[in-house]
Amino acid sequence: MLKIKNLSKKVRNKSIIHDFNLQVEHGEIAILLGSSGVGKSTLLRILNNLEIIDHGFVELDGLVLDLEQVNQSHTVGMVFQHFNLFEHLTVLQNITLALEKVVGQTSTQAQAIAHELLQRYGLSDKAHALPAQLSGGQKQRLAIARTLALKPKVMCMDEPTSALDPLLTTYVANNIKELAQQGYVVLVATHDISLLEKLPCTIHLMQNGTIIESATSQEFFEHQTRYPALMAFVTGQS
Amino acid sequence: MINFSSLHNSLWPLFRGATVSLQITALALIIGMIGGTFLALVFLYGNKFARTLGHIYVTIVRGTPMLVQVVTLYYILPSFGIMLSAFWAAVIAIGFNSIAYVSQIVRAGIQAVGRGQIEAARTLGFSHRQIIRYIILPQAFRAIFPALGNEWVTLIKDSSLASVIGVSELTHQGAIIMSRTYDAVTTYAGVALIYLIMTSLFTVIIYVLEQKLAYAKN
Repeated sequence: MLKIKNLSKKVRNKSIIHDFNLQVEHGEIAILLGSSGVGKSTLLRILNNLEIIDHGFVELDGLVLDLEQVNQSHTVGMVFQHFNLFEHLTVLQNITLALEKVVGQTSTQAQAIAHELLQRYGLSDKAHALPAQLSGGQKQRLAIARTLALKPKVMCMDEPTSALDPLLTTYVANNIKELAQQGYVVLVATHDISLLEKLPCTIHLMQNGTIIESATSQEFFEHQTRYPALMAFVTGQS
Repeated sequence: MINFSSLHNSLWPLFRGATVSLQITALALIIGMIGGTFLALVFLYGNKFARTLGHIYVTIVRGTPMLVQVVTLYYILPSFGIMLSAFWAAVIAIGFNSIAYVSQIVRAGIQAVGRGQIEAARTLGFSHRQIIRYIILPQAFRAIFPALGNEWVTLIKDSSLASVIGVSELTHQGAIIMSRTYDAVTTYAGVALIYLIMTSLFTVIIYVLEQKLAYAKN
């Protein structure tokens, strides 16, 4: 289980994350919902050591995570909003580079892992293409495959469906569902409410850097009136 | 008018001079690339003291004529007990001049690499050094290859400044031939033609490499 306890982060004296608490089980999808600027992406960046916290701690399976070492230990992985693929490398190399240079695997081992992931994500025929030659959906699958190659326990996805059409959004939702089924702790930061209907998840509505309301997607859709803040966000009244 | 038979007789010494010009260019290019890349990294990731020294260096090099730099280096080094041949003094002066310009080109190239890719590399566990080596520099060099190509072509022409300290490169050979034949027009037309051939060939090679390095973009 991933536990985030009393996390706080200020930037230039402005509180971005404030006394943030969250628990997510393995196999669970936690959706951080909220308008732009409420701290969703910052939280994911903190978990990936791209931002330094001022206060609080994170536990994974009962052990406190050293956030400064989280990248080296490959405990947490991140799929970025704009994928951030390495543009000069082929699809295959995007996956193998970290396996070879960071993990220290041989080229043969790295390629075997990469080919397996590419097959799983339907990108085998694109192995030698460059990221610029991929469609939006393919880029995202590659970004997921690249992250999964390092076998993280927690997968963070920042705005995974922004600028995607409804068909691709469904496709991405299926990818996220699949990750949860494989036992990953999945954290998704989004303001795309269409994802809520497509995923069995726990929704956490954020405001001013903290969670103001939480519900499972099933509870929320069955008893919407019990969750006024979520209701207001979903209906566009907040 | 151009005397072609006289030009024909001068071809061999001019060719030897051109070979020396190319040697100066190649060595200065290596110095410029290695030093320029290092200086660009200092500008971007070095401490304040190192960055200040870098800025002073670039300001001096860019603010003074290369001719003065070549002559100054040739005459100053012996007073520090460093005895260099005119050839190596020219190589170092032109190479050190190139460092200043290459550093600015490389710095711009590095800054052009998307911040997102650097962050992605960090989340994958790459160290700072690995990010520079495997992610930033390969992309930066592809982006700046045309600008670097211009710098390299300029180096061929700059190598002619070695003639002022007596290096037997192409321009110097031309001066020797002219002092013998008194035919400035023919001699320097030949010299100019050889420079033109060298720079054109270099431009073609750079263009071909540029096409090979270019990767598909939507």
